[in-house]
Amino acid sequence: MTEATVKATFDIYRFDPGHDRAPRYQRYTLDLPPHTPVLTALLKIRAEVDPSLALRYSCRSAICGSCAMQVNSKSRLACETQIGPELARDGRIVIEPMRNQAVLRDLVVEQEPFWRNYDRIRPHLILDPRHPMPEGRENPMTTEEVEQFKETPRCIACAACFSACPAVEADPAFPGPMALAKLYRFVVDPRDQGHQDRLMRIQPDGLWLCLRCHLCTEACPKDVRPSERIRDLKEMAVAVQGGTEHGSKHAVGFKDNIRDRGVLNEMKLVRQTSGLVGVLEQLPQGLHIVRKKREILRAPHRIEGMDEVEKIYEALDRPEEKP
Amino acid sequence: MKLAYYPGCVAQASGKELDMATRWVCRSLGIELAEFPKFSCCGSGFSDEANEVLTVALNVRNLALAEAAGLDLLTVCSTCTGMLSLANLRYQDPKVKERVDSALAPLGIHYRGTVKVKHLLRVLTEDVGVAQVRARVVRPLEGLKVGAFYGCHLLRPADELNWESAEEPHAFEDLLSAVGATPVYYRGRVMCCGFPIQFVKPDTASRIAAHQIDDAKAHGADAMATPCPLCHISLDAYQNQAEKVAGHALDMPVFHLPQVVGLALGASPEELGLGRHLVPTAPALSKVGSGARAGR
Repeated sequence: MTEATVKATFDIYRFDPGHDRAPRYQRYTLDLPPHTPVLTALLKIRAEVDPSLALRYSCRSAICGSCAMQVNSKSRLACETQIGPELARDGRIVIEPMRNQAVLRDLVVEQEPFWRNYDRIRPHLILDPRHPMPEGRENPMTTEEVEQFKETPRCIACAACFSACPAVEADPAFPGPMALAKLYRFVVDPRDQGHQDRLMRIQPDGLWLCLRCHLCTEACPKDVRPSERIRDLKEMAVAVQGGTEHGSKHAVGFKDNIRDRGVLNEMKLVRQTSGLVGVLEQLPQGLHIVRKKREILRAPHRIEGMDEVEKIYEALDRPEEKP
Repeated sequence: MKLAYYPGCVAQASGKELDMATRWVCRSLGIELAEFPKFSCCGSGFSDEANEVLTVALNVRNLALAEAAGLDLLTVCSTCTGMLSLANLRYQDPKVKERVDSALAPLGIHYRGTVKVKHLLRVLTEDVGVAQVRARVVRPLEGLKVGAFYGCHLLRPADELNWESAEEPHAFEDLLSAVGATPVYYRGRVMCCGFPIQFVKPDTASRIAAHQIDDAKAHGADAMATPCPLCHISLDAYQNQAEKVAGHALDMPVFHLPQVVGLALGASPEELGLGRHLVPTAPALSKVGSGARAGR
């Protein structure tokens, strides 16, 4: 019995920067069973239709992280994405390379910036001399200690998060979600002595550029949840250093701001985050906005029940309570 | 239908037009808004970066206030929606719950976890229903092409918020169609507005805002509309900064969600506070086929 097939139309991004003036989309139409993985289809196209198609892949089992690409505009591992649902929804399958990385050829992108950001977080144990490596043995961890890593060890460095990240897109200084998720893994490792130093080094022009938009968490094929671990890193950085960067000043300032009236005092927050110099820098924009929104000059009302809010702060915002 | 109205800080201050439009639309559709002068700020995704447990506790207090009145919560901000929803979720973690309860129990606050946090977009599309909204339209926004801009915390993390698809949401576009406008689909509609780092690195924030506005424009949008007042700050009040970074004019009117609905339901531009925007909305209103008068 032959397997039922569907007519699958692929529009594949083709570009050779050395020869082509501009990228183009090339159409291939094949009859394939609906459960065919996108990667299998691409390899069939390369083997039987067009040997010039360039793509990166290895294990075909969603372990190596090589075949991440955009399938109908979404970051996916080609090896674990079946063509059926894509065709049912969009009628065709548009295949494009990852974003935020230069195209070397067709679906193959330059990974150097991705790995350079990984190197930036020093992705290796800096052994704590108080926990020396036992002679001739591995350095074991307890189950509770391993649980501290949360989902981060699942990362296969496929760069789907890097491709999806709007901060990476807008600012090359941002290390990207994968590097920061890996940083989290080392910061919570009890065998590592880099804890404070790692948190301090990553703050200037790094950690606080995360937009907490959660696009990385949505893109990740392994549910590593980088945005949530980056949030944890921010809270740990505040615990180690307080509000020293614009980002941490804003977080601490915001938290303290609510304690005054229960709601946000917008003008005061600018002072708390940016200081007097910052207020002066923001003045022209403030005047621009105040033309239509005079409320920003007024302090807001105090909410009712501020005594409760104050007691909650007293109970949970003592310095020794922080993680 | 009666809901506990959680306006959030911005709609009570610089984004007052959002509060005006929300009240107009809810009155028009028979949604009763219960006022809670004891509600505190949700933390906006900033205060939890300094102290998460404190932020969860403050939001559980908010949720408990609604629970005591037997009401679900109505939000009009993507970020408020995200923060209050996450408080509901984090409170289920026994370690978090223990610390939160240690602060709330002495105040006599005991939250059972029954309150649903619903953004106005969800209430209009699910509880009121798209068909009911369509039936109430007196001035269809025909000819107006609108790019919906969702705001991150209304959609993500999708497995925690448990509502729309994070990659291909359609509630907002359904609503735009119901009021006679033409929804514009573009990649930026589910992206970030840049707001969270406006005070960390302004040029990067503005570059991100410019990306999304340019994207909406390239796909033919006459205007954008957002369910989030923080996105509105980034896209409207700081659009001049985005223009500087982008190096070209953007001229993109940005509506709050209830303003678009209100216009179609017969509200005047004044009642919806359209004159309070930094980017004039008149050019967009002039695209509407019949009857709609321009705001200033």
